[in-house]
Amino acid sequence: MIKKYAALIRANWALTSEYRAEIVLWMMGGLWVVVMMLVWIGVADGRSINGYAAADYVSYYMVTLFVRNMTAVWSSYELDYQIRQGQLSPKLLRPIHPLHWEISFNLSEKVLRAIIVIPIVVVVLAVLSHAPLDMRPLAVVAFLISLMLAWLITFFSDYAIGILAFWTSQSTAFVQVFDGIRSVLSGVLAPIAMFPDALQAVLAWLPFRYMISFSVEILTGKLRPEQIVQGFAIQSAWALVMVLLVKVMWRRAMKSYSAVGT
Amino acid sequence: MRYLKLLILFARTSLLAELEYRANFAAQLLVSITFVATTLLTTFVLFGHTDNIGGWRYDEALLVSGTFVLMSGIIMTVFQPNVQRTIEMVRDGTLDFTLLKPVNSQFMVSVRHIKTSGFGEIIAGLVVIGVAMVKLRYEPDVVSGFAILAMFTIAVMIVYSIWIAMATMSFWFVKVGNLTELFNALFDTGRLPVTAFKGAIRAGLTFVIPVAFITTFPAQAVLRTLEPGTLLIGSVFAAALIWGSSLFWRTAIRSYASASS
Repeated sequence: MIKKYAALIRANWALTSEYRAEIVLWMMGGLWVVVMMLVWIGVADGRSINGYAAADYVSYYMVTLFVRNMTAVWSSYELDYQIRQGQLSPKLLRPIHPLHWEISFNLSEKVLRAIIVIPIVVVVLAVLSHAPLDMRPLAVVAFLISLMLAWLITFFSDYAIGILAFWTSQSTAFVQVFDGIRSVLSGVLAPIAMFPDALQAVLAWLPFRYMISFSVEILTGKLRPEQIVQGFAIQSAWALVMVLLVKVMWRRAMKSYSAVGT
Repeated sequence: MRYLKLLILFARTSLLAELEYRANFAAQLLVSITFVATTLLTTFVLFGHTDNIGGWRYDEALLVSGTFVLMSGIIMTVFQPNVQRTIEMVRDGTLDFTLLKPVNSQFMVSVRHIKTSGFGEIIAGLVVIGVAMVKLRYEPDVVSGFAILAMFTIAVMIVYSIWIAMATMSFWFVKVGNLTELFNALFDTGRLPVTAFKGAIRAGLTFVIPVAFITTFPAQAVLRTLEPGTLLIGSVFAAALIWGSSLFWRTAIRSYASASS
């Protein structure tokens, strides 16, 4: 399997480099993260809001920029396109599940994004050296694990919605709705601590927070150890749910799929 | 007159075609609702922690959000579908058929297609603006009515120029579709009054990518806080952009050598 993935990622790296200009443009969506950072610093206006002062917003949003780039997904659009164009059928005939192709494409794209985004984040955080980060080894390891789980939740939830394209031609509308909700509730619009208490309590149980803000809060030192443990439990549960959902939905889709194509 | 008739005809045929796809309409409505909800939630959450953003109170900022939603709706209804179609036509060479028609080609590529996908946003935007006006106890009078009408027209003209210029770039660059992504990312800042930003960013959002003219200044017209000077600069700016983008289009058409086989 590892050998297969190595080959797939190598093949997809070529594809990624082909699209490098587009990927850089897509990354411009990250501008929204920087904009929200500036807006919140303006709103705080020298005060501290629920534990966030200007420096906290800087570190929160810079880590968010990184996490958001590392969890960017688009497979649902790809799947929709392939099904409508009949391009999925040849992929199904290959001895390897199309999912692995998508995963390796996604991961190789992450390499490119990391090359671009890490220097930006590091420079900004270094220049504003008072921006708080928890760089203890344990925190960094916890951050990286949570980042992987966040990627799993994001990728597989997106893929699950993408599978809807087997039954409806409107799957991309569902993706847009899900993306819209995610952009607000995952912690990009505002750190979760900015939301009303009642909403925060609900968000603790929904998957959105675990796609971005949970990882960010670990690295910015905003969580107590017991909160991190609890968060990991919920995050792993959601990751498992999404993977299983894709598995079940895919099996059902394959039973009813009849290809359109040439 | 002939163009007005054509416009009505275009609108009718494309709406009839759109109504064939009811599921699509329902799905788009769902997307619109999510979009409006997230926009309003942004304003709501921010104002949970402050009583003003860049000098704008909640009800006033709501006017900006409403204008933002309305403008997005207009973009989704007219500009985005036509520009996308134009980019495709340039790529596969079917633009030839448009150029052969005995009407102005820029008019043709600008309004040929109308999508229902932005209707939800147009209505929601107008409702939000209306609610904000009631909360602000807006009382109509001739001067402010004129300012509002002028500023919204300027806003639409500026948005149109930017979109037609993006379509025109497809004569030289193949993947212009991504440019529209960039526009959307920047346009997103229009959810908030431009005074929420400082220094170079505010200047950039006013003159480089004139988001301020598209959402903040029209809202100011409603609030009667719009400087007459801004209105004047806006009219000149919009006229210049319309003229420039049209010149750009004509230059492109002249150097166009069809891509058809």
